[in-house]
Amino acid sequence: MASFLRLISLLCLPILFAVSVNGSVSEGTEEDFSEDLLLKPLPDRKVLAHFHFQSRAPSSRSNSYGRHHHLFPKAISQLVHKYRIKEMELSFTQGRWRYDHWGGFDLISSSNAKPSGVELWAVFDVLPNEVDATWKNLTHSLSGLFCASINFLESSTSYSAPKWSFHPESENMRYGTLPREAVCTENLTPWLKLLPCRDKSGLSVLMDRPSIYKGYYHSQRLHLLSSEFDSNAVDSAIVLDQTLTVVLQPHNHRGTLGYSTATQLQPSWSLSTIFGRRVIGKCSLARSSNVYIQLDRGLMAELQGMLGEQEMFSIARAGFEGSRSNPAFELSANPDRVHMEMSSRYDKHASVLYMFMVAEKYDDSEPLDLRFTWKIPVAWSIPQAPLHVTRFLLGSGNERGAIALQLKSTKPSDRLMPDTVFADNCSLLVRVFQVVPWYIKVYYHTLHIFINDQPHKINNVIEKMQVSPSKDKVSPGVMEMLLKLPCGLKSAALTIEFDKGFLHIDEYPPDANQGLDIPSAVISFPDFSTSTQFVENNSSKSPILLKWQGQNPILSYTEVLLVPFTTPDFSMPYNVITITCTVLALYFGSLLNVLRRRVGEEERFMKSKATRKLRVLHLVSKLLAKLRGRQWEPSESQSPSSVSNSKSKLLFKVILVAGLAAAWQYYFG
Amino acid sequence: MYQFYTSKMVFPLILILGLGVLGNCMAYASPSETTLHTNNWAVLVCTSRYWFNYRHMANTLSLYRTVKRLGIPDERIILMLADDIACNPRNKYPAEVFNNENHKINLYGDNVEVDYRGYEVTVENFLRVLTGRHEAAVPRSKRLLSDEGSHILLYMTGHGGDEFLKFQDSEELQSHDLADAVKQMKEKHRFKELLIMVDTCQAATLFNQLHSPGVLAIGSSKKGENSYSHHLDPDVGVSVVDRFTYYTLAFFERLNMYDNTSLISLFNSYNPSLLMSTAYYRTDLYQRRLEEVPVTNFFGSVMETVHTDSAYKIVSRKDYNRGEPELHQVSQHNERTLISSDNPDHFSEPSTRDEHEALRSIWRSLHNKMERIEDADTLVNYGLVIMLPFLGISMWLSR
Repeated sequence: MASFLRLISLLCLPILFAVSVNGSVSEGTEEDFSEDLLLKPLPDRKVLAHFHFQSRAPSSRSNSYGRHHHLFPKAISQLVHKYRIKEMELSFTQGRWRYDHWGGFDLISSSNAKPSGVELWAVFDVLPNEVDATWKNLTHSLSGLFCASINFLESSTSYSAPKWSFHPESENMRYGTLPREAVCTENLTPWLKLLPCRDKSGLSVLMDRPSIYKGYYHSQRLHLLSSEFDSNAVDSAIVLDQTLTVVLQPHNHRGTLGYSTATQLQPSWSLSTIFGRRVIGKCSLARSSNVYIQLDRGLMAELQGMLGEQEMFSIARAGFEGSRSNPAFELSANPDRVHMEMSSRYDKHASVLYMFMVAEKYDDSEPLDLRFTWKIPVAWSIPQAPLHVTRFLLGSGNERGAIALQLKSTKPSDRLMPDTVFADNCSLLVRVFQVVPWYIKVYYHTLHIFINDQPHKINNVIEKMQVSPSKDKVSPGVMEMLLKLPCGLKSAALTIEFDKGFLHIDEYPPDANQGLDIPSAVISFPDFSTSTQFVENNSSKSPILLKWQGQNPILSYTEVLLVPFTTPDFSMPYNVITITCTVLALYFGSLLNVLRRRVGEEERFMKSKATRKLRVLHLVSKLLAKLRGRQWEPSESQSPSSVSNSKSKLLFKVILVAGLAAAWQYYFG
Repeated sequence: MYQFYTSKMVFPLILILGLGVLGNCMAYASPSETTLHTNNWAVLVCTSRYWFNYRHMANTLSLYRTVKRLGIPDERIILMLADDIACNPRNKYPAEVFNNENHKINLYGDNVEVDYRGYEVTVENFLRVLTGRHEAAVPRSKRLLSDEGSHILLYMTGHGGDEFLKFQDSEELQSHDLADAVKQMKEKHRFKELLIMVDTCQAATLFNQLHSPGVLAIGSSKKGENSYSHHLDPDVGVSVVDRFTYYTLAFFERLNMYDNTSLISLFNSYNPSLLMSTAYYRTDLYQRRLEEVPVTNFFGSVMETVHTDSAYKIVSRKDYNRGEPELHQVSQHNERTLISSDNPDHFSEPSTRDEHEALRSIWRSLHNKMERIEDADTLVNYGLVIMLPFLGISMWLSR
């Protein structure tokens, strides 16, 4: 028996060895999947939850399985191959990201704060003349895949081709938004079905639909990067990033307290209070499954001001001493690792990232229910982008108006400014990308720029500008600008005037009375980028951390504008039809009557009728006369004058009707 | 001897005639009669927009839930919702839709697939779905990919009037449009049986122009009648369900996939005093008796399984047309078996092939008929009764 076992073990050894070798080699050639969740308290008593799922598939060229996949969603890889997509991003958003409260200078605000509705852009690896057709087919496929009306982006009036202001690699790129697209469960479910564990295990278990859609903001994004068609790429692969960003209001159990007083304690929260669910374990197919809690720079600076050096140290080292409690807050579990941001030379404040690994130690009996409890009241402000952007409409009436884009300085601390800013001719570069639908007829020559409320010459401010005017019912207007603003400015404003066009009756949406939308403008700051370097950069390959360390551009989206339009009286065609028909019926009816009426016949008939009556009378009178014995004499017949009278009347009628008809033809025909 | 021969010849003739009478149609009926039921589809349409029409969305989603529960998979349901109610800012319960004030069932659930929504719900798209005339790029999930053996449930709800149904308050679907679409579907072999169920005011008028066979129609109200909502949910703030749909659902809540409840019992379950309108059925275009048709014929996906004794062989159609005597036997025994010839090397003459083919089709339809008839005893009795006069006549002739 023992020898048999030995034999078995000997036989198994090479297999085991092969498996272990495979496991170590798996980097790069195997598909992998990892999941992350980032939680972050926000200054306005809310909590940000950011899910990040990353799936990678090696290139089909290097993959020995051909086009079979183990973890990577097949639907997406088919999409990539069919439409030869180099890069694509699709986002579904509801709500508006509040840059002043939720941050404007970090990874999440620049890559996950999206305009409300649907935004889709894609870069294709096809010939330039095939791009439009590919885009059209792609929108239809995505609309089937995600249960949304993305196919409305197929018409050339709804998408544009940005040249340089939206994305660095803009060749063969198309960009389109649907500001009014609804986002709900039916969009989230197919998105979750792309994950290997769906929403059955792992972090996605937390996605309880009612709690997610109860939030103030939710943005579901799918980003696809493929080097499949790039022959120069060293390791070609398809990388699919799926993120869901939600801003939620934790339930405050001591909720009778008022709002927004600085001395008040921030609400404490846990996974179960914000999502109503807990993490039972990791998705067993995931390479890594981590939960992070981030305290941003602003918060850390504030805490440093309130607490002593020693206490700050305890915050930074929370995990290692096993003291998950410190004077400011308490965590319900010991973090497995603490990432300190590398302090820059200008600022000693640095953000802290607590990492919790969702390992096998959690199960049904002991789920991971991370709790964050505040001990002291704290109020802080979150890092901002250099300029805060708002956009609004000017003017009144339904004929014309103007779009105003206002940029306000947020007085960034010095460390945020890049080195170029400190040169002599200090300037701040701002890129503006604005798409305007064709029915908003923009007059580009009316562009005015105000700096610190003073009108300014355009040529001094605009470095580069590219405009492609709209074509009626064919293409939208696109405006791309690079502004060079003086860096000491308080505010800058751009205004541009427009006329409202007229739509065909079929082009109005069913709820046209609500008005029509102008999609968000995209403002980016090419001088700036977010890149957070962590002190201990050891072997952590979590995709969210890698993203964090990369160079990410700072961009922000403006509000969607709602333009009220003159809506025609949609019942007007029916009224016109009715009145025209009535008039025609009258005209033809009377004409027919006139033409068909045989006057002579009628008279004869009348006469005969009269004579029949008369004959009876005649007989009666004859009889009477006989009875009386008198001589009978016939009564006088009708006078001829009445006949001519009726004839003239008839003629008059004919002339009247003909005149009416002629007048109608003249005025309305 | 001669006598015996004639009577023998007459017997199958009688059988055919008797069956023709019983089955209420001839053996050479439309091809849809002979095709097997292949699959079930559902097209569920809510045509009205705006929050105050919550109940129409809830009606449609309730039906969606019901047909899904009874076995029609998501890929065979085309759901059209004209507005987003679940995540509407006015909805106090985000991502939830209720059809009852007790809030027991969240109709939106975790797994809902809306194929057409918002501005996409137009008369044009509706007719495109029915007739299958899409642009080439339209994905399969948005198409009605039914075939000539499909049973389709078409449910529509919204605001309507005499011979029209409004779509999003901006266009109308007229009864002629609907009838034309159905006719086109019939000609394109896109359905075998179609049940049109409409919950709107004067719903019955929408069926006036229908002419295609195989169509069954139920409307919530007759001409001149309104269809009313059932009750208002004070928490949601609007009416949550219409009366006709409410009682339809009440009927279906008792059922599961395996129930054999017939359509007539569904039709009889509508009480005009509860509905506050008269439910109208149009059955003149439908060949089968409603007592024999289970509701899962349309509202579920229950397939008839075909049992084969021998292993399934792929033989070309013409090869097994010589199994005629066997077929005869089978039809008499009323067994559900597929016949395959045991010796495929025996080919029939090419000249007699067509003849055989025709005979085979007759036998096939006969066989199908036999299968459908449930009470074989009465059939036999009827057959005997019909036989008697023939016997008499033949006796009289041979004298």
